[in-house]
Amino acid sequence: MKEKAFVIGQSVRRLDAVGKVIGEALYPGDIDMEDQLWMKIRMSDRVHARVTAIDTRQAEAYPGVVAVLTATDVPVNEYGLIMPDQPVLCGPGSSKAGADIVRCISDQVALVIAESEETAAVAADLIEITYEDLPAVVDVMQAIADGAPQLHAHAKNNVLNHYRIRHGDINAGWEQAEVIVEGEYHTGYQEHVYLQPEAGLGYIDDEKRVTVVVAGQHAHEDREQVAHALGLPEEQVRIVYPAIGGAFGGREDMSIQIALALAAWKLQRPVKVVWSREESIIGHHKRHPFTIRARWGATREGKLVAAEAEVYADAGAYAYTSTKVTGNAHLMVNGPYEIPNVKVDTYGVYTNNIPCGAFRGFGGPQGAFAAEGQMNKLADALGMDPVQIRALNVLEEGSITSVGTPLPPGVTLSKVLAEGAAQSDYWHKTGAGWARISPTEQPTTPAKRRGIGMAMGFKNIGFSFGAPEENWATVEIHGDAKIERVVVREAGADVGQGAHTVFAQMVADGVGVPLDKVEVIGHDTAETDNSGSSSASRMTFMAGNAIKTAAEQALEKWRSEQRPAVATYRYVPPKTTPYDPETGRANPNFAYGYMAQFVEVEVDIETGHIDVVRVVSAHDVGRAINPQQIEGQIEGAVVQALGYAIMENLVVKDGRIQNPFLSTYLIPTIWDIPRETKSVILEYADPRGPWGARGMAEMPFIPLAPAIVAALHDATGIWFDHIPLTPESVVSRLREHNIGVI
Amino acid sequence: MAAHQITFTINGGQETALVTSHTTLLSLIREQLGLTGTKNGCATGECGACTVLLNGEPVNACMVLAVEVDGAEIVTVEGLAQDGQLDVLQQMFVEHTGTQCGFCTPGVLIMARALLDRNPNPSDDEIKDALRGNLCRCTGYVRIIEAVKAAAKAGG
Ligand code: FES
Ligand code: FES
Repeated sequence: MKEKAFVIGQSVRRLDAVGKVIGEALYPGDIDMEDQLWMKIRMSDRVHARVTAIDTRQAEAYPGVVAVLTATDVPVNEYGLIMPDQPVLCGPGSSKAGADIVRCISDQVALVIAESEETAAVAADLIEITYEDLPAVVDVMQAIADGAPQLHAHAKNNVLNHYRIRHGDINAGWEQAEVIVEGEYHTGYQEHVYLQPEAGLGYIDDEKRVTVVVAGQHAHEDREQVAHALGLPEEQVRIVYPAIGGAFGGREDMSIQIALALAAWKLQRPVKVVWSREESIIGHHKRHPFTIRARWGATREGKLVAAEAEVYADAGAYAYTSTKVTGNAHLMVNGPYEIPNVKVDTYGVYTNNIPCGAFRGFGGPQGAFAAEGQMNKLADALGMDPVQIRALNVLEEGSITSVGTPLPPGVTLSKVLAEGAAQSDYWHKTGAGWARISPTEQPTTPAKRRGIGMAMGFKNIGFSFGAPEENWATVEIHGDAKIERVVVREAGADVGQGAHTVFAQMVADGVGVPLDKVEVIGHDTAETDNSGSSSASRMTFMAGNAIKTAAEQALEKWRSEQRPAVATYRYVPPKTTPYDPETGRANPNFAYGYMAQFVEVEVDIETGHIDVVRVVSAHDVGRAINPQQIEGQIEGAVVQALGYAIMENLVVKDGRIQNPFLSTYLIPTIWDIPRETKSVILEYADPRGPWGARGMAEMPFIPLAPAIVAALHDATGIWFDHIPLTPESVVSRLREHNIGVI
Repeated sequence: MAAHQITFTINGGQETALVTSHTTLLSLIREQLGLTGTKNGCATGECGACTVLLNGEPVNACMVLAVEVDGAEIVTVEGLAQDGQLDVLQQMFVEHTGTQCGFCTPGVLIMARALLDRNPNPSDDEIKDALRGNLCRCTGYVRIIEAVKAAAKAGG
């Protein structure tokens, strides 16, 4: 098919932009129905306890209360994205063994449904829950020790998963190593803070389906989990997404979906819930805190010969997507480098902390924090330039990764590194290799130090490790002699990233019509087939491949006079495989995006305040379907990663979140952003990508924290192995080295 | 609960409402008047999603009691466009992708409107100062600043 440059590669306006700027776009909390009831969800008061009794009498007697639902009301009292290890409602008399135990403060215990929001809230407090406390464990190392309280029967010593890599001969590697660097890296929690807190509406639709209107990332997965818990066939459940106010991984798991469905189904009336910001911060999962011990060795020339790591992730009380997140970290902790001898052990560990799960980057940021920290330390120990040492070690086409297989075709790490470095204005290539153009210029204020650093990375596109992966799209061409209208049915969630606009661009190009003839129908399980989730930077790639073929086939039917011409195509990417339990050998992914970042910071050595001055973010996106949206993703991800690296400090004590408010959990404001963010967008086609496109939305998040650490090292001569780099933590580390002592 | 009758102008039209003494301006706007363009991101004055103009000044509607607006003039995001014609700020947010998920957008637009009304040619720092209380988790703010500047350039 010939390319139509007027649609693909153009920064066309978002389809939803006008609705959003005039205030017409409806988000879940904006939708009301006649005769609707309100729900309040009573969460656990304990981090680990058996619920022995729930007395609902007072709540039920409260005027305006319609019903109080507890564990006994849930037909199949379990759920979970990768395994159903969490009760829908915790309490006695449940249909599932062990569902009488609360394992964290976000466990849900009872649902109060009332005529008004206020009544539901008042009545929820009137429920008397009797707990029998159980010993709790909130520390990963304690959780895996013998004798620790056990959270789940299926996880001995609370180990949810343990992955290994045994690649090459690690002892031989250490023998070859002429320089060795070590580090123990700690990364903190991160809260998504999508601006729209959880909200939704459950009701029974005209076809008697239990319908949930909610913001999510994967409508068909939500449907599957709701149907499972209600013991209904999937056809009797419908999920509808209106406008979604951000997601970032935080809406991959259930929050209010099952509760809404259950209430609407039991009462056969519309039921609405809106979470407060506090409920949102307590009630959904977080980015995992990690502890990573790493030891890497290289020759004097800078060639990596050995890498060893132990990786521990606090999964919290339930699995969520932890096995997958730790799977990513397991691969990415070795960096995008060719290392002949590797030994890694990665553990996902249950604790009574808040559950952790998906968040932009999905284990990549934690893995990269250690890997890139190690690489920068090696460069420093060898007196080598950090770009140069990477150029010597990055994976090339056909290179064998730490899991014993090559990356899929289209490996462009060295190009991204080189073009990013050249366009950073900090590095240039000399006869002797990559070098800084000039040393970092220091400010005249004595308390301020400037530094420049870099890091790079790789990130999978799409589901990994053998997980089923597919995307359905239907293209309908309507008209008679001429094409009047083209409809694409594609469930892929537009969580704010602009997926629907990109779908429309791809359909317009595929069929060869102007954009204004295209209509996107999505966000409704009654109207579309499964497209998988808006996660893993996969939607452009996966939906694009489905749309491209569906468009071609519909066009063929149109040419053979079918009216309307309708074609449905299910795209299935090349197969992936899980880690071998002993060696880790796998074909983990079918596509990747590659990136490198170059960062300039200014640190105040008296206050510990870090000012990120400039970020240059280089990405191979394969093909920029909509360049402006790509820049928007880069700018947004960089600021989120800046928050992760230096600001966002979720304090969890004894399993309880201490700062569940936007006044105490601080995310970047407009004053906190880099003075300049330069996007370097490279387009080396992915041979498997639609129009050559790769995914890209998580990638700018991943290398930023280690790049900031490298810049801080350049500024102060000190390595920082813990994030977030809050002013207090920076000051105390500087003082350990007698820097900034007043 | 004692009900108070209040009368006010919203987006150019006069309205009368019965409110309790603890009804917030935000719930008056969203729930009683059904104008859901104004968003609730925290209800505690910490995110800016609920920003509206009260007698020309931007306020967090979640922090104002409805009884206080008796006799006042309110503008919400729905009142920015005139006769189907987008406000220049709205146009520029569309043009420059100043909106992604869009949940912060109504508040940001109102705050930017208040800024341009008093300062038609703001510097970058003045824009940042005006929008410092409006959280956005999607855009990294870059395109928001660009859109506001473009609107100022186009005559505000
Ligand atoms: S909702 Fe009013 S400031 Fe957040
Ligand atoms: S566009 Fe999503 S919060 Fe601003």
